[in-house]
Amino acid sequence: MQRSVSSLSLSPSVKVKLVNAGFQFTADLLHVKPLQLSKETSLSQLEALEVLQAVRGETGGGASSSLTALELLQKEEELRSIVTFSSQLDAALGGGLPVGKTTEICGAPGVGKTQLCLQLAVDVQVPQCFGGVGGQVVYIDTEGSFLLQRVVDIATAAVQHCSLLVEDDEQQVAMATFTVETILSNTFLVRCHDYVELLAELHLLPDFLSNHPKVRLLVIDSVAFPFRQHFDDLSQRTRLLNGLAQQLISMATSHKIAVLMTNQMTTRLRGGQSQQVPALGESWGHAATIRLLLHWAGPQRLANVFKSPNHMGATVRYQITSEGFRDVDQSEQPPSKRARKHTVQMAAAREPSET
Amino acid sequence: MDQLELNPRIIAAVSRAHLKSAREVLCVSGSDLQRVTGLSSSDVQQLLIAAATSCRRHHPIAALVLHRKFDAGLRLSVGCPVLNQLLRGGLLVGGVTELSGESGAGKTQLALQLCLSVQYPTQYGGLHSGAVYICTEDSFPIKRLQQLITDQSLLRSDVPPSLISSLQFSDRIYIEHVADLDSLQVCLSRRVPLLLTRGLVRLLVVDSLAALFRSEFQAADWLERSKQLLTFSSTLHHLSSRFTTPVLCINQVTDFLSSSDDSLGPLSSSVSPALGLLWANQVMVRLMMRRLQVTVAQGDQSSVLRRLEVVFAPHLARSGRDAAVWREGVRGVMREVEMSQWRGSEEGGGGGPHFCLTNKETNGCK
Repeated sequence: MQRSVSSLSLSPSVKVKLVNAGFQFTADLLHVKPLQLSKETSLSQLEALEVLQAVRGETGGGASSSLTALELLQKEEELRSIVTFSSQLDAALGGGLPVGKTTEICGAPGVGKTQLCLQLAVDVQVPQCFGGVGGQVVYIDTEGSFLLQRVVDIATAAVQHCSLLVEDDEQQVAMATFTVETILSNTFLVRCHDYVELLAELHLLPDFLSNHPKVRLLVIDSVAFPFRQHFDDLSQRTRLLNGLAQQLISMATSHKIAVLMTNQMTTRLRGGQSQQVPALGESWGHAATIRLLLHWAGPQRLANVFKSPNHMGATVRYQITSEGFRDVDQSEQPPSKRARKHTVQMAAAREPSET
Repeated sequence: MDQLELNPRIIAAVSRAHLKSAREVLCVSGSDLQRVTGLSSSDVQQLLIAAATSCRRHHPIAALVLHRKFDAGLRLSVGCPVLNQLLRGGLLVGGVTELSGESGAGKTQLALQLCLSVQYPTQYGGLHSGAVYICTEDSFPIKRLQQLITDQSLLRSDVPPSLISSLQFSDRIYIEHVADLDSLQVCLSRRVPLLLTRGLVRLLVVDSLAALFRSEFQAADWLERSKQLLTFSSTLHHLSSRFTTPVLCINQVTDFLSSSDDSLGPLSSSVSPALGLLWANQVMVRLMMRRLQVTVAQGDQSSVLRRLEVVFAPHLARSGRDAAVWREGVRGVMREVEMSQWRGSEEGGGGGPHFCLTNKETNGCK
């Protein structure tokens, strides 16, 4: 997308002055004011204004075309959330994991963060006629905890669950494309061994996402692990993390994917008492739109939505079974009823946009 | 830096900014990079993409491709089918496995057994290579190792006796005694990588951790201790992933203060692994061993029963198996309910007789 300045319809002397001042591509001119441009290139103010108008005209209004709030709302509703197999968690998140936003899962080791990530990596692939999103997933593994043995367990259980729900021909046909093999082939795995590899991968991801428009979920498990190695300069770490957060947010919105990251817990001393808080520092707390805290309460596992712009903090119980991440009182509701609620909800939401 | 496919002008600007490699470029945040090199934003974009491409090891691969590789589910057998079933095959070959427990629980016994089990060919659950055993406290139990070697054929009835007698077990176990952190770091950065590079070993055991990290630091030095612990764990992870080698760390336990809020899990015992949350975050598989109040007998031997439990692992359920320590090694003992579940599934393997926990006499239950 690099459009060079020499291709614009301007007089050659103007073009030469632009190039000499270092403005090679139209992208460089997008955020420059006329006064600044004329100072740097020694063009007259009028010429500078003409240049900028030519640039804006060519790029069709530049990057910022304004939307009304109603348009934004409609766009948001078109993006389905990623439904998990835990209806309580979906309810707490307001329908499922939101697409176009960044979500963070924090928790102590062993509480189930990786399990939830693996579950969502399978759930994003559930076909649309079952209420799912039918997308692919990019899974960035920094710890080595993406184990195929476990992924196959979760995928097999998901396929089985859906095959029990088949009610019509469309769903029957869809089941042919939803098997353990297709689930594994739609999961793109990257293994990063340190933070530089992670940063490199994130720089190259937008290109990958443009070539794979069906990706609807990006999982980073975990962000904390490579960044909690010893950093001599903590402010550098903060800057790198801020840049990373910006990149993730922009990828989420421009490519319409859900970004899911896991974080570790660390101990902080506050007023003489020690408590567990999410790692990576205070400023990292602003990186994710939604934050989920998984923790133990005795023998129970609890998930607490403690940061969300839409919903009040809710706490739900969950369990990790051989099939994956599930509600605790799974057995009470027959599966077919629950799924039909989902498909009906989704079908109803779909209709207004299908004009 | 010169190998990147970039306009020479950009490369010149980068070297003027004293950035010597693609990795250094990536470590500078976007806006800092623009300021430091004086390049335009689109140039900086090109620079970052080129640097990232050279630092990236491989493109995103579909998981199906990995699934079909021959060593996808590679595991290191523990030497007993009951315990292997608990671990769904054995130790993971990537990542750090921790085994903690009170003294006398049997951790060193299991570690010695693994040092022998790694030497078998892969068809018998080994990795066809030796082991490095780093001792930090007591001296290495060489007599016990000899005893285990002598009785290997009794433990591993799944392996042909001719193969067992042909293996020179003690030749392929490299023992390092390390008294403090500095010598541990030297050992891990020089001696161990050399053995790994030459393919002589494919198992690293550290027995035990807490001894080194606890004694050396007072409470006030926790910052220094954290730094050392992170450096140590980072070294272990790099070795493990670079050489696809299982790493087993033996850890001690501390008393679990039930009044504190930060629990590391629903531990049914009153003790928890030492070194706290910082270390727990670095561990992929956490196992615990404890002594029970029961004794079992086999022939003329008797043993206090232990319990090996999975505290957390990405691929294992929280579960446990009883085990006994005999002359020939550590052997799992199935309880009645576990036995019926196991018979129902298809994962019964070979291996010696299994003993039911009904009374003190032996029962040939299988």
